[in-house]
Amino acid sequence: MHCSPYERRTRAQYASLVLPGMLIFTVGIIAPMILSLRYSFTAWNGFSRDIPWVGLDSYRRIFSDPYVGDAWWFTVRFAVWNTVIQNAFALLFAVALDGGLKGNRIYRTVLFAPCLISSIVVGFIWLRMYSNVLPAVAGYLGLAINPRLFGSPSTVLAGFLIANNWQWIGYWMLIYLAALQSVPTELYEAAKVDGASAVRRFFRITIPMLAPAFTICIVGISVGSLKVYDLLVSSTGGGPGRASTSIIYLIYNTAISGRQYGYGSALSMTLIAALLLLAMVQLAALRKREIQL
Amino acid sequence: MSRAARARGDVGPARRYSPGTFALQLVMTAVAAVFALPVLVVLNYSFKTKKELYLSSPFALPEAPSWDNYANAIQRLSMGTTFLNTVFYTVVSVAIIAVLSGAAAWAIARNKGKFFKFSYVYFIVGILIPYQALFLSIYIIGYSLRLTNTAYGVILMYIATGMSFGVFIMTSFMGTVPVELEEAARIDGCSVYRTFRSVVMPLLKPAFATLIIMQAFQVWNDYLMASLFVSSAKLKTLTVAMQALFSQQATDYSTAMGAIVMAVLPIAALFAALQKYFIKGMTVGAVKG
Amino acid sequence: MKRTFAAGLALAMAISLPAAFAEGAITVKILDGQSTTDAGMEKIIDAAVAAKYPNIKLEWEIVGWGSDFQPKMQQYMQSGLPDIMIGKAQDVATYASQGVLADISGKGYLKNVLSAAVTSGSYKGKTYGVVFNALYQGVYYNRKFFKDNGIAVPKTQADLKKVIEKCKALGVTPFATHFKDGWSIGNVTMQFAINDVFSKNAAWGDQFRAGKVNYAASPEFKTCYGYNKLLYDNTWKDETFSLEQTECDARMVQGKAAMKVSGSWSIQNFLDVDPNFDFGIFPFPNQAGNSKLIYEPNITFMKSKATKVSDAVDKVFAVITGDSAMAQKIYDLTKTAPMLKGVSPTYKNPSQKDIDAYAAKGQLVDAGIGNNQLVWGGFQDENAKDIASWLQGQSTLDQALKAADARRAASKP
Repeated sequence: MHCSPYERRTRAQYASLVLPGMLIFTVGIIAPMILSLRYSFTAWNGFSRDIPWVGLDSYRRIFSDPYVGDAWWFTVRFAVWNTVIQNAFALLFAVALDGGLKGNRIYRTVLFAPCLISSIVVGFIWLRMYSNVLPAVAGYLGLAINPRLFGSPSTVLAGFLIANNWQWIGYWMLIYLAALQSVPTELYEAAKVDGASAVRRFFRITIPMLAPAFTICIVGISVGSLKVYDLLVSSTGGGPGRASTSIIYLIYNTAISGRQYGYGSALSMTLIAALLLLAMVQLAALRKREIQL
Repeated sequence: MSRAARARGDVGPARRYSPGTFALQLVMTAVAAVFALPVLVVLNYSFKTKKELYLSSPFALPEAPSWDNYANAIQRLSMGTTFLNTVFYTVVSVAIIAVLSGAAAWAIARNKGKFFKFSYVYFIVGILIPYQALFLSIYIIGYSLRLTNTAYGVILMYIATGMSFGVFIMTSFMGTVPVELEEAARIDGCSVYRTFRSVVMPLLKPAFATLIIMQAFQVWNDYLMASLFVSSAKLKTLTVAMQALFSQQATDYSTAMGAIVMAVLPIAALFAALQKYFIKGMTVGAVKG
Repeated sequence: MKRTFAAGLALAMAISLPAAFAEGAITVKILDGQSTTDAGMEKIIDAAVAAKYPNIKLEWEIVGWGSDFQPKMQQYMQSGLPDIMIGKAQDVATYASQGVLADISGKGYLKNVLSAAVTSGSYKGKTYGVVFNALYQGVYYNRKFFKDNGIAVPKTQADLKKVIEKCKALGVTPFATHFKDGWSIGNVTMQFAINDVFSKNAAWGDQFRAGKVNYAASPEFKTCYGYNKLLYDNTWKDETFSLEQTECDARMVQGKAAMKVSGSWSIQNFLDVDPNFDFGIFPFPNQAGNSKLIYEPNITFMKSKATKVSDAVDKVFAVITGDSAMAQKIYDLTKTAPMLKGVSPTYKNPSQKDIDAYAAKGQLVDAGIGNNQLVWGGFQDENAKDIASWLQGQSTLDQALKAADARRAASKP
């Protein structure tokens, strides 16, 4: 089987569709990444003219740095909980608001609106929610719980989970809504004729047809959660102490205000490597399920 | 349930108004109330004076509601300029991302060669790259290419960061485009480009809709890229301008409240009105109906 | 006919253009690291410069000093700094040591600046920055509350403990704190250190880096860290890690707390809530009972070494230091203390009489003696996080002190 000139030309045409995007992507993301790789082998502070080469020292430092482990722990917990909670509720709300309820549009808008607010502002809003609004609510209702979730290391994760889910559930709900409405009615009608119950129809028809949406949402939520930064900036600043410092927050802080750009670059490289591994695994698993279903 | 009703996009499988539905109605009302609470509180605050902000309860209505905070916000954030800038960057970047990632994803889906397999992985890897960590490096590269403090520079950067997720989404939707249609077009003599433009793109409308909505958010709410590449007053975006209200040693909350409402409400209203089209746009089946 | 006319017009414009430039539409680029209290300063400066030099146009880039000034400086050091940079006095040491600031020693306009300010804007004997105003740091107290209850301003730790007891007996929280803001913890710790460590040993930081002293074995630093616990034990413990500054200041004004360890940046907040709030300031008592009131040189104008419009920059600096009306407007806006000669702000500052009293007795100390020995970013702010962890019970005092020692190398300004 050999390539005819026609095939080669077609192949080239297809390739030309890929190249512009690839070029921009390379210049904007890959090139800086390679530059950072170079800096990761130095002890550059981000300022001075001299850039001392230190080889693998920065990488060795990562293993003995307690703050890195803590930041990863916080970030991973945040990502895992988020993925579970956001997906579940987005799907549930999508199903609930698929139709049949009065005022659907209002519900959907109310749930969706928070994602229009930038994360920096969302962090700030919830800071005030926890310190002013919720205590006032607790006061009115006479509840004894302390709603100041950002104030203690043990509750700060919960605080951020609530804030982040408030912001994004509506957004993913939209994806699921669209996917739900992509399911052809004939499938449901046929199943009803066969005597399947609503629950059975949901699990045998709806869920499998949602598989591509699942993939998009799960990858989107987990990757977005792992990169959490803006939410922390105007709320806790990574605190109290370092209790809510995410890995990106640590990297950015260390590289910039800590003036250790070289070390920060090494941290970024390990972050990228770890995320890569995670994503490869995730994608392989999800794509397989998609095909099966 | 008629197919017409389904195609309208706002009614799902038929449900009679049973006690179950009523219970669901109550639950969703409660949920909506909880979700709306923070926004309503912000709305309330936005009409209050600075003093009331500190001293009164968040639920107390403003004593003398005034538009001061809004006026201040418009002025301090140069809202006319920053709003328009943000709209411009968002619309242009998202449009280009959509076309480029659609084209790339389609080419990748239709070819089995090594180059295409490599391209897919190359793009997807980018989803994970946290560009905050590469901030100085991005700036150095951007500066050496004369991209800094230009509108096209920041748009280029948004395209660069949007390609990965863009390609990811578009490839997810590729299964919905029947190869037979393309083959028919090719037999008719259409070039690869023509096929893409006339046959594939129309069928990818839901994919584009999904992509556009997702990417528009990323760009609209982005802080870091905008602050790196377009920090001058003429080119500033809304998000960067808002950040100035949250400085470390003193925060101008009351103006911030006005700013937040103005940044969110119009788009929320737009969404409420055009909701049907958003969802229908993202729905794959709608095109067939 | 039209064509020749158009061509003629174009030619005329082309000829006149260089002339217009020669006459001097000069653009001066400014990077301004502001706090919200400074917001609006740029308009005042624009008006003053435009009045005197209409051909000088100022192009402002305004960022938040706390989070964005340094990253921006780092960015621009790669690509080219703006002509004027407005930061804080501690930035002089950071950037002069990198060799990017222009030496402005001996310039005429420096004569308008108080000599203490010139010193604050200098590094290794040369002046690089025009220090414009100063903040005062210490313990703000509710003067009416003190007077009504016969509480005297404490001078020693023993006095302070008595004041704390009196407050508690009257049902008032002794200290208003907002430990959610890590920078607040860092700030108060440095205030303590200035009067307990650097007053005894001005080169403590240098010795620390040389390995001669350390935190873990320093009784003085242990004491300073311990003062944080004193504050924590006598404040709204459950809330301080959720509370941010404006809220905290509002409570102070409402009389819910009697004292707050802070700085002039709180004045704007106090007066916003109640323009008639009567407050005073005293330095936090140290072990020796002789603590001084801290002044922190604040807004500092720096000139880039590589600027192409050096004369224009000098003109702008001359306006800033010479136009008293403009300066007074800025002092009134920011509610800070002047570092220019002969300018008195007109805003009401109830703590001014205390400041004047301490100044008269020579009991003032420059915050630089601490901040120029131990850098903020990467050191002081990280130590503050360790203190927060300790106060919340996640680590011990010893661990916090040892952690400071572990980042010895990062403490160099």
